[in-house]
Parts: sequence; structure tokens; C-alpha cells
Amino acid sequence: MTHSAPKTVLVVEDALDMRIFIKTLLETNGYRPLVAKDGRHGMVLARQHRPDLILLDVMMPEEGGANMYRRLKADPKLNAVPVVMLSAVAPQTFNHYLRMLNTRTKDPVAEPDAYIEKPPDPAHLLRVLKRLA
Amino acid sequence: MTTDLRTTRILLVDDEKGIRKVLGIALADRGYRVSAADCGETALAVVTQAPPAIAIVDIKMPGMDGITLLKEIKRLSPDTEVIMITGHGDMDLAIESLKHEAIDFITKPINEDILEVALKRAAERISLRRQLRRYTHHLEELVAVKSRQLIEAERLAAIGQTVAGLSHSIKNIAGGLTGGAYVVEKGIEQDNPRYLHQGWRMVKGNVDKIARLSLDLLNYAKTARLRLQLCHPNQPAGEVVELMAARAEEEGITLDIRLDDRLEPFYFDPEGIHRVLLNLVANALDACGAATAPNGARTVSLHTFQPADGVVAYRVKDNGGGMDQATQDRLFQTFFTTKGSHGTGIGLMMSKSIIDKHKGRIDVTSRHGRGTDFVVRLPMRREPPLERSNHHQGEP
Repeated sequence: MTHSAPKTVLVVEDALDMRIFIKTLLETNGYRPLVAKDGRHGMVLARQHRPDLILLDVMMPEEGGANMYRRLKADPKLNAVPVVMLSAVAPQTFNHYLRMLNTRTKDPVAEPDAYIEKPPDPAHLLRVLKRLA
Repeated sequence: MTTDLRTTRILLVDDEKGIRKVLGIALADRGYRVSAADCGETALAVVTQAPPAIAIVDIKMPGMDGITLLKEIKRLSPDTEVIMITGHGDMDLAIESLKHEAIDFITKPINEDILEVALKRAAERISLRRQLRRYTHHLEELVAVKSRQLIEAERLAAIGQTVAGLSHSIKNIAGGLTGGAYVVEKGIEQDNPRYLHQGWRMVKGNVDKIARLSLDLLNYAKTARLRLQLCHPNQPAGEVVELMAARAEEEGITLDIRLDDRLEPFYFDPEGIHRVLLNLVANALDACGAATAPNGARTVSLHTFQPADGVVAYRVKDNGGGMDQATQDRLFQTFFTTKGSHGTGIGLMMSKSIIDKHKGRIDVTSRHGRGTDFVVRLPMRREPPLERSNHHQGEP
């Protein structure tokens, strides 16, 4: 890791335990975490701070991660930010959703940069973060 | 292999008349036999009478919503393939529906090509299943002895389902523990009391969860076989009252006990029924504890009575928060809980299993905000159980 300013990582996750865990993981490994409880708040923070990476839970009450993912990819200022999906939903299910979505739109939505199934292994999550941001 | 369209029945469920009409014509044009319903309740009546091969269900409807209807259809007729119609912004619902075994979903406005793809998927699945069934049927005819093994396989599948649900619960807890341990570790490394405090709370919370889960599982395992004994039906009720009286008093809840002493002993599993009543009374106390009592007195009552010849009943009633219909529908499912991380979702499923084994029944009536009323009915068994040559039973 370089010694420039810490990378900002936006965590969008509804479960408190998971938020605390990931926030600590980020803080203690030289990242600057931002946390949001749902997709709506997540979008607000993403627009405000332009994070270096976004960690996104799929199933959340209120606005879920699938919707937020679509909105991120449709936003020209944010669509280049790497997104890591973090979820108990199997990656096949999520990717099927993307394929269904892509059959009817002109601009297909890309698959996320990485998909990590819950519960995440700290070392694995850090490796993915290092690779992408 | 293709499925003969002339015999393929499609049930179309949408509250919008226009969509029913347009889609109905499009499907009839393709040679399907189409019936339509304007709401979940009507659709279920159709499914009960004559299950269709394919159901196309709008995900958002007033009254029973699409996901609930999907689950009900799958419960009533697991072979019916369900295609969901979703709106533009219903992605989470669409994913949710795939989790509940919808074969596919199509988005509004409906594109005919995509509809075609979804129908093809459903048809393929159906013909595959038919093939499989023919094959199985053939096997059964050929080798009658094998049927016992098939039953065993089914039982294993049921166990597999339970294990899958269980593994999900355990995975969550393990995730919480891993996370908590990590946060504690950082607290120690960096001498950071905030990490220590937060991490420790996560660890403790998840340890509590796993302790509750294992206790519930242990109790569930005990229900595998009934131990029928000649016993007075009031006995387990009395025991439960004794166990719960202190807690009720502590929480300021009145326990109203009326045990009919005209009842007669019969053969049942007193320990099993004890567990059922303990579970129901504990739930009732939870419900009263959670509700803010509207006009003072919060009461949990436990009655025994004889509703008919040869039947004994237990009634557990509370005037706590009550349940809505959706909750009542899912009440006896494995791992369903309304208590968040506090419940494990095993108690009522276990109770139902014990009652089923007695060939009894459990009924619930509940109104949101008014309270809940459970009635357990057991047939009075007069003969002792047949002596089984089973040395595992360890009779005293």
C-alpha cells in the first residue's frame, strides 16, 4: 500500500454486527470507512464522497443493494468505482438477475468486480480490497 | 422433449384487468389453456381445485402479495412452475422470488420474446420432471422392495432441508463470532477500549444465540419418538404453571389457570405435551411482555377441558400483541421467528410435530393488537402402546 491519503471505502450493510466488523477491519488496515444502513443513504454518501471502493450487501430492508448497484452503474460519475457485493445470496442468483435485466436494456449492466459470500473471511476480503482499490 | 401445449394449463394472476386480457390472448394464441385470477385468494382456490402446470404471478398486488402467493402455490402444488411479473424497480423482490423457487421473472412492460424464454424454461423443467417421474414409477413397479428405500430417501431429503436451514442459522452465528473475535483482537492489539467493548458484545450476543439454538435442537431431537404413558392430562399443565408462575409474577402478568378435574387419564407423552405447553405459555408471556398493555391487566390463561367425547384440549390464550395473517401462515415453519435474534424458529414447529405424532391438532386464532389463542386437541388413547422389541428404548 502506498503512503498517500487513505483510500475511502463505502460500506452499505443493514446488519449492525457486520457493519462493526467491516468498519473495524477497514480502520485497522489503513482505509477510511464510510457506513450506510441502506441503499438510499448509501447513494447519498457515494455522491458526496466519491469513494475508492464500495462494499454492498444485496438484501436490505428499504432500498436493497441490487437497486443501488444498478443506480451506481447508471451514474456517469460513479460507474467506474469498483463494487464488491457482499451477501448471503448466492452469486448465481445475483448474476441471473443481472442477465434478466440486461436482456431488456440497451446498455447492459456489468457484473460486479467481486462477489463475496457472507460471512466474509477477513484475509480474503482484504486481498480483494487491495486488488481493487 | 417438448410438452404438449394443448394440455398445458396456465394460471394468470394479476390485479390489472388490462394485463390479464392482453397476456391471456398472447398465451392462448400460443396454444396454452389459460385461466385468470385477479387476486391471490382466487388464484389459490384455482390451484387447490386443479393445479396448473404454470402460473404467471404479478409480484405486486393488493391483498395477498405475489411472493406470499408464490410460496403458497409451491406449498400446495410443488410441481407448478411459477413465473413472476415484476415492475421496473422490484429487483429485490425478483431475487427474493427466485429464492422461493420461482423459475423466472419477467419485467413490465412485458416483452413477448422474454415471455417466450421464460415459458420455455418452465416447459423444459416440467418435461424433465415428467421423465423423471416416469422413470421412478417404473422402478417402483419393478422392484417393490425398493419402495422402502425410496421412503427412506424422502425422509433423508426432509432431514436435508432441515439441515440446510440449520446450516444457514449456524453460518450467520459463525459469521458474527468471526467478526466479533476480529474486533476484539484489534482492541487488544491496539489497546482500543471501543473495539474491545463492541467486539465483546458481538461475541456474547452470538454465543447466546448458539446456546439457544443448541438447546432447541436438543429438545427437538427428543421429540423423535413419543413415550406414551397413562397420565392425567392436567399433570403437564400443572408442571408448566409451576415453572412459569415466578416469571409471570415478576413481569406483572396474571396467570389464569383453570384445569378441569373431571378429565380422565389416558395414554400420551407427558414430557412431550409438557414441552408443547411450556413453549406456548412462554410465547404468550413474551407476547404480553412485548405489548404495551392498553387497559391495564395483561393475562395469560391456561385451561384444560373436554371439547368432545374422547378428546382433551388445552387452551393457551394471551391478550398481548397478537399476530397478523402473514405471521400466522408461517407459524409452524422451521426456522421462522418473529423475535429477531432472540428466537430460533424451532419452538412451534417442534410443538406441532409432537401434536401430529399424537394424531392431535393445534389451532390458532389471533388478532393483531388483541391477543392470541392456541388450542391443542389430543385424542384420548385408551390402549397402552404395543410392546416393541426395541432394546434401544431402555425401559426402566
